[in-house]
Amino acid sequence: MDNVTNASVASRTLVPMVNRPNPVAVGTIVWLGSEVMFFAGLFAIYFTLRGAAPEMWAAEATKLNFPYSLTNTIILVSSSFTAQFGVFAAERLQPRSTGWKPTQWGMVEWFYLTYALGAIFVSGQIFEYSQLVSEGITLDGNAYGTAFYLTTGFHGLHVTGGLIAFLLVIGRAYAVKNFGHKEATSAIVVSYYWHFVDVVWIALFLVIYVLR
Amino acid sequence: MKGNIALLTVLGLFFLVASAVYTVWNVLATGTWEIVGTVGILLSAILAGFIAFFLNAVNRSQGGILLPEDRPEADIDDADPELGHFSPWSWWPLVLGFAIGLAFLGLAVGVWIAIIGIPLVVIALVGWTYEYYRGNFGH
Repeated sequence: MDNVTNASVASRTLVPMVNRPNPVAVGTIVWLGSEVMFFAGLFAIYFTLRGAAPEMWAAEATKLNFPYSLTNTIILVSSSFTAQFGVFAAERLQPRSTGWKPTQWGMVEWFYLTYALGAIFVSGQIFEYSQLVSEGITLDGNAYGTAFYLTTGFHGLHVTGGLIAFLLVIGRAYAVKNFGHKEATSAIVVSYYWHFVDVVWIALFLVIYVLR
Repeated sequence: MKGNIALLTVLGLFFLVASAVYTVWNVLATGTWEIVGTVGILLSAILAGFIAFFLNAVNRSQGGILLPEDRPEADIDDADPELGHFSPWSWWPLVLGFAIGLAFLGLAVGVWIAIIGIPLVVIALVGWTYEYYRGNFGH
């Protein structure tokens, strides 16, 4: 290797080394920006129909079960907190628990709990749908039903997609021998998505159940 | 990155102002509040402001070290980026694309096609996610 030199590389210390922004994280954020506009379309549908038939809204919205939905909302919001604790564990590069106490939990345990809470939310929403259908609010029944099921349904599909993403990330934690930054990154970006879907639900909840 | 932050912040503020102007103008002209436009433009502000906020947080987390594009004395090859891991030859995105195509074709023309497509979506998704977690690439 006598004819190889790295002198020109070594002498260049003018610009400090910097970790560039993680492209996975930035890409996820930009994609979530586009998701904002997807839900903007759904909000536009909802408000347009509501503006066209305010008396239908006044009649149909009374069928909503506010305490039930509030409970479901609190479950989803709490899942955001458990997801964030999972991210803290992933940032410690700790995939598995070192003891039974929550302070010793790893990413996998927190994400299982998040998955359970998210699954309860989706199941609760399906149960709520069946209640509302029995009270006459259906997808093809009237404009209120269409707006209600389109907005909450697309949100529910997003939550379901997030649940699948959590399973894939949990699976990765089991698949690797050395849990590293790549695995932590996928945990972090799934949590970004989860928080986003959570915030969208809060907006939907305020519009559909509080504002009516 | 500072340029991106500035551009997206300006864009976000513009949409914020546009949303307010739209609302006031609309109420003055028609006497009623048309919510769709207000919310739509407001969410456009969030679209831009959200990315600006994130990039700003990344910029600050670098502890005052600027990226080459923000340093006037940097050379072009200083920005020669460490882009991260990209698979050079993965077939899984193609499989996933065809599988999703089948699933949606099924929704459009006949559910039985979707019943074939959806398991293929699951296989492609798992295959892609774990491509670098098995065999030679297990780490």
